[in-house]
Amino acid sequence: MERAVPHAVPLGQMEVFQALQRLHMTIFSQSVSPCGKFLAAGNNYGQIAIFSLSAALSSEAKEESKKPVVTFQAHDGPVYSMVSTDRHLLSAGDGEVKAWLWAEILKKGCKELWRRQPPYRTSLEVPEINALLLVPKENSLILAGGDCQLHTMDLETGTFTRALRGHTDYVHCLALRERSPEVLSGGEDGAVRLWDLRTAKEVQTIEVYKHEECSRPHNGRWISCLATDSDWMVCGGGPALTLWHLRSSTPTTIFPIRVPQKHVTFYQDLILSAGQGRCVNQWQLSGELKAQVPGSSPGLLSLSLNQQPAAPECKVLTAAGNSSRVDVFTNLGYRAFSLSF
Amino acid sequence: MSSESSKKRKPKVIRSDGAPAEGKRNRSDTEQEGKYYSEEAEVDLRDPGRDYELYKYTCQELQRLMAEIQDLKSRGGKDVAVEIEDRRIQSCVHFMTLKKLNRLAHIRLKKGRDQTHEAKQKVDAYHLQLQNLLYEVMHLQKEITKCLEFKSKHEEIDLVSLEEFYKEAPPDISKAEVTMGDPHQQTLARLDWELEQRKRLAEKYRECLSNKEKILKEIEVKKEYLSSLQPRLNSIMQASLPVQEYLFMPFDQAHKQYETARHLPPPLYVLFVQATAYGQACDKTLSVAIEGSVDEAKALFKPPEDSQDDESDSDAEEEQTTKRRRPTLGVQLDDKRKEMLKRHPLSVMLDLKCKDDSVLHLTFYYLMNLNIMTVKAKVTTATELITPISAGDLLSPDSVLSCLYPGDHGKKTPNPANQYQFDKVGILTLRDYVLDLGHPYLWVQKLGGLHFPKEQPQHTVIADHSLSASHMETTMKLLKTRVQSRLALHKQFASLEHGIVPVTSDCQYLFPAKVVSRLVKWVTIAHEDYMELHFTKDIVEAGLAEDTNLYYMALVERGTAKLQAAVVLNPGYSSIPPIFQLCLNWKGEKTNSNDDNIRAMESEVNVCYKELCGPRPSHQLLTNQLQRLCVLLDVYLETESHDDSVEGPKEFPQEKMCLRLFRGPSRMKPFKYNHPQGISPGKKNSES
Repeated sequence: MERAVPHAVPLGQMEVFQALQRLHMTIFSQSVSPCGKFLAAGNNYGQIAIFSLSAALSSEAKEESKKPVVTFQAHDGPVYSMVSTDRHLLSAGDGEVKAWLWAEILKKGCKELWRRQPPYRTSLEVPEINALLLVPKENSLILAGGDCQLHTMDLETGTFTRALRGHTDYVHCLALRERSPEVLSGGEDGAVRLWDLRTAKEVQTIEVYKHEECSRPHNGRWISCLATDSDWMVCGGGPALTLWHLRSSTPTTIFPIRVPQKHVTFYQDLILSAGQGRCVNQWQLSGELKAQVPGSSPGLLSLSLNQQPAAPECKVLTAAGNSSRVDVFTNLGYRAFSLSF
Repeated sequence: MSSESSKKRKPKVIRSDGAPAEGKRNRSDTEQEGKYYSEEAEVDLRDPGRDYELYKYTCQELQRLMAEIQDLKSRGGKDVAVEIEDRRIQSCVHFMTLKKLNRLAHIRLKKGRDQTHEAKQKVDAYHLQLQNLLYEVMHLQKEITKCLEFKSKHEEIDLVSLEEFYKEAPPDISKAEVTMGDPHQQTLARLDWELEQRKRLAEKYRECLSNKEKILKEIEVKKEYLSSLQPRLNSIMQASLPVQEYLFMPFDQAHKQYETARHLPPPLYVLFVQATAYGQACDKTLSVAIEGSVDEAKALFKPPEDSQDDESDSDAEEEQTTKRRRPTLGVQLDDKRKEMLKRHPLSVMLDLKCKDDSVLHLTFYYLMNLNIMTVKAKVTTATELITPISAGDLLSPDSVLSCLYPGDHGKKTPNPANQYQFDKVGILTLRDYVLDLGHPYLWVQKLGGLHFPKEQPQHTVIADHSLSASHMETTMKLLKTRVQSRLALHKQFASLEHGIVPVTSDCQYLFPAKVVSRLVKWVTIAHEDYMELHFTKDIVEAGLAEDTNLYYMALVERGTAKLQAAVVLNPGYSSIPPIFQLCLNWKGEKTNSNDDNIRAMESEVNVCYKELCGPRPSHQLLTNQLQRLCVLLDVYLETESHDDSVEGPKEFPQEKMCLRLFRGPSRMKPFKYNHPQGISPGKKNSES
């Protein structure tokens, strides 16, 4: 006689487990494909999900089109940062950076193209990589994270060329100055450092927490987000979100928001920021709060503006954080819908 | 008419010409004496051809005379007048003749008409006759076809085949020489043979009947003998009882049980047989017994006329009662409800003994009118348990078996037909009666071989014994794990209430040696209270807070920090992990919505529970999770960055060794603990 194995037991267990996993999911990073039609999102379980923005935004979008086209296990630990080159999706988590071909990523069982580990000095633990930054002029990638250094990697050869040392605690974020080959980095030690890539030297240091107007000792010193535009720099974290004039190293505007911000970016003549709390904040450069657009996650960690010229119809703002959902804003005024893991 | 006839008469007198007219005139003259002269008769005698000749001649004569008159007149003269006169007279004679001919023609025409008419009438008559004849022919033809179509009865009789007939029939019936050529005679002969054969068979049937009667009589005699044997055997059995007991061979008991089992309703019987079989084959700790009154069960199967009587009686009674009890309709409905929910007087008891001598008593009932099975459960332990307050529900018969299979909470009837029955007597749901009747879990139906269609379509349909057998083993195992996990929880709760998190030695490696945070409270809370807590919203929204679950509130303290943990305990524990939701009261209220690290702590106990399961069958999960929570709170408090602006030492000095206080974009504290290295914020460095 054939036994009817009651498969219902493990199924119930699986369902509960999946629900819990979704409930405790954090989406750390996002990246838009070079064609502008797909969005990659990486979570704390090391999975990367690829969403089709064009399908979700099309007029006949169904519930399924808001689900990932494909989800794969990319890293063992969380996927902290992702960037896209013309052909590759680069993802970084604990200790390693991996490259995936965008052209093959939608296929089942996609394997990484290559993986690299920066030369770490410590052997006690694997430092995480918190930020990736592409330097298009040099065709190189800058990685920064747990080992308090900035590593530059030549994308052509895959070798690590330089290590920029100076931070005394781990590095949170990176930003590139477009005109001169200079990189900004912000870290847990509370300093924003400006590096010259040609000489590999630190050229300027702003210790934000030492400025009384933006220091908030109960929150800590850490700088978790950075953005730059010509001579201007905006940074936030433990200290208040502040707009700086780089040449004179002076804070010009302090944005009146209490909760620490986790992501900031310049957009046209606005500054967009997100952090604790459900909202995406829009600031005038003068420090005036232009709008607060509520999203669906209790806390946001990353914003992504899809400005790929190849897909003007997919020009959206996406925000992700402490939930399994990626909020999509078709204009800056309100949340249109959420993509969900 | 008289004028016409007088006119006619006149020319006859004057007529003087033509020889044929001469003779006729003579005859007609003689006729004229006696009777009236008839021109009609004359017509018959005259030849029309000659009349026509005469007519032509007369016309010529007239023309000639007219021409001569004309001639004479044009010549003129005295003598002319005489000649003209003469000629005129001649022409008058001719006119007479013409007139006569005209009359004749008329008469002929009339005569012709009459003749035609007569002929036509004749033809009509003939036609009628013809039609009659045709009709008769048709009728006859119909009769013929009817005759041809007539089916004789013998055609339906399945006769023996022709060869067989000639082979087997005696020659005086078959008469081969006559019947070979004549199919009619042949058929008759075959029918004869059939009759003959049937007669013989009837004879045989009668013989058999008498034979049967004889055998019946014999059986009767033998039965009498056997029944006289029964008391003797009984007495022998009785005598052998002490021997059986002496030798520990409970044949008799088993026999009695089987005897009783015959009176079980089919589902209970299936359960009984399968459970006994499973107990004998695979699981010696399972014992099966039947309870209840056999006599009552027998009474259920009384001859039907009794019950019919009853019914009519009760109908009459009902009428009376409706009259009598009109104002107390509720009472009557109550009776009906009781009747509907009636249990079969017999029930099957399963005792499942677990390793630690605790026993799960299951009593299976069968609701006859609803055609479903229910179960009541009771757990007894070898040693008397001190029941902790929070463990109240753990072993209660109402919840101990809840959700043995996911979603099977046993509060809804599994038989879709029942809903209609309930509607009739005004039962809203079976839920209100389960305490009394027992729970109709789905697995109980399956053990009893009852199969009801589910709301969702199903792939496999297995019936009866095979259904029961296929579920017996898994269900028994599930029951055992359920009881054991419940008993384990029961014990754990006792110490939890005293603020001790019992960590067994084989789970010790999961935690650092020194844990400062202490569990201070462990209480059970109601489902509604859980739903109303402000920090459990996510779980409620995710649909994980069903009312079948058990809910607890734990309080972990260290110094001024108080961590509340709302716990959802799924009945399927420990295969489905308990779910913790946290709320920390320290420097303000912190929950997962405003503190990423609280969220990470929840994730550590809820999602990474697998490493906390400990040795199988992972009964230590809940206590390990609680201990982990204490460790997490320690880490949280010790790594909290010191606010430089506040004077004085830190409340919680850092005691645990960790490389980094924060890590990653969300500044995660080093919650991971790796034995034996200590606390680390990320994954273990396996490469080094």
